[in-house]
Amino acid sequence: MAQSISDGHPALKQQLLLSVVEQLKLPLMNIARFAELANIQSGSVDLNSIYVTADATLQLLDSYILGVQLAGQEAELFEIEPVSVSSVLYDTGHQLEPVAKEYGVQLDLRIDGKYGPVMAHRRGLQAALVSLGYSLVEALPAMEAPQLRLELSAHRCRYGIVAGLYCETEQLTTQALRLGRQLYGRARQPLGEISHTSGAGIFVADAILQGMKSQLTVSHHRKMHGLGAVLPLNPQLQFI
Amino acid sequence: MTRILLLEPDKLLANTYLKALQAAGYEVDVCHAAQSAIHSADKVKPDIVIVELQLVSHSGIEFLYEFRSYADWQDVPIIILTNVPVNEFVSCEQLLMNEMNVKLYLYKPHTSLRKLLQSINELTSANVAA
Repeated sequence: MAQSISDGHPALKQQLLLSVVEQLKLPLMNIARFAELANIQSGSVDLNSIYVTADATLQLLDSYILGVQLAGQEAELFEIEPVSVSSVLYDTGHQLEPVAKEYGVQLDLRIDGKYGPVMAHRRGLQAALVSLGYSLVEALPAMEAPQLRLELSAHRCRYGIVAGLYCETEQLTTQALRLGRQLYGRARQPLGEISHTSGAGIFVADAILQGMKSQLTVSHHRKMHGLGAVLPLNPQLQFI
Repeated sequence: MTRILLLEPDKLLANTYLKALQAAGYEVDVCHAAQSAIHSADKVKPDIVIVELQLVSHSGIEFLYEFRSYADWQDVPIIILTNVPVNEFVSCEQLLMNEMNVKLYLYKPHTSLRKLLQSINELTSANVAA
């Protein structure tokens, strides 16, 4: 099993909080500067950008809390149920759409084939995918020769189904994620090949998925590179 | 008109800086990544460069090394506008200020648009006086 941020010393868990706090500076700066710009120009405030930025930040905070709770195995939260992967991807896309629009990233939902339900923690799975999505949406325009398209997709793999977000950038590699996990808590920008921020969204997703006994993985699908959740198939559910 | 090259990875923040700088009468070229900023500098011949140190793939320091390696860009004033607090940069301060000839180091969360505009104004005035 890969090293996770919820493993090990409590100080390492604290790094997730520090990463989230560091990440919060960006949306807060954006909101402050939107307001200041409106003040300087004596014009109207860009309210939509403020709503979208604040909503995305609040969702990151909720996801962080969920990640901590799942890592603590709080029984009432850790209820797995049959979950439709397509439905989770659809809802994730719906949640990501406003922020993707702000960053000029085209969001596509592509579900080829039929995937039976998987046993998962639905809220956790969606929170993880949304957190990943925010991180990628924010990072894509900052890459060299950016391809501003993100695809929500699922495919079968040896271990079950991978549900994730895919793009045409080649920087999303297993090595980049491994290095990020190693540098996590030690470097200001642990995912330097993927994100210019602390990458909190990716580490929060990692924490949630670990809490759900799932795994964040780098995945390749239809010549695209992505990050996704590995969801084991339950043979009994395949009859549903 | 003073031409500014702004290297800022966050698209929303970059747009806000762009609007503020344009409103103040500057001609601004925005880049989100280091390599595209080098290409852009070649085209626009900036009078001032504003750089974030935390970028994707290449750091702002790498950009500065490459930028300063060209004879034409040795004297272009550079402002660092970054999320990295200056106290984390104590050991590199001499490198930035002397070797890279960085004029100003601004910590982004504490730098309002007004403060940024004022700093640019002071820098351009000093350059004109010199």
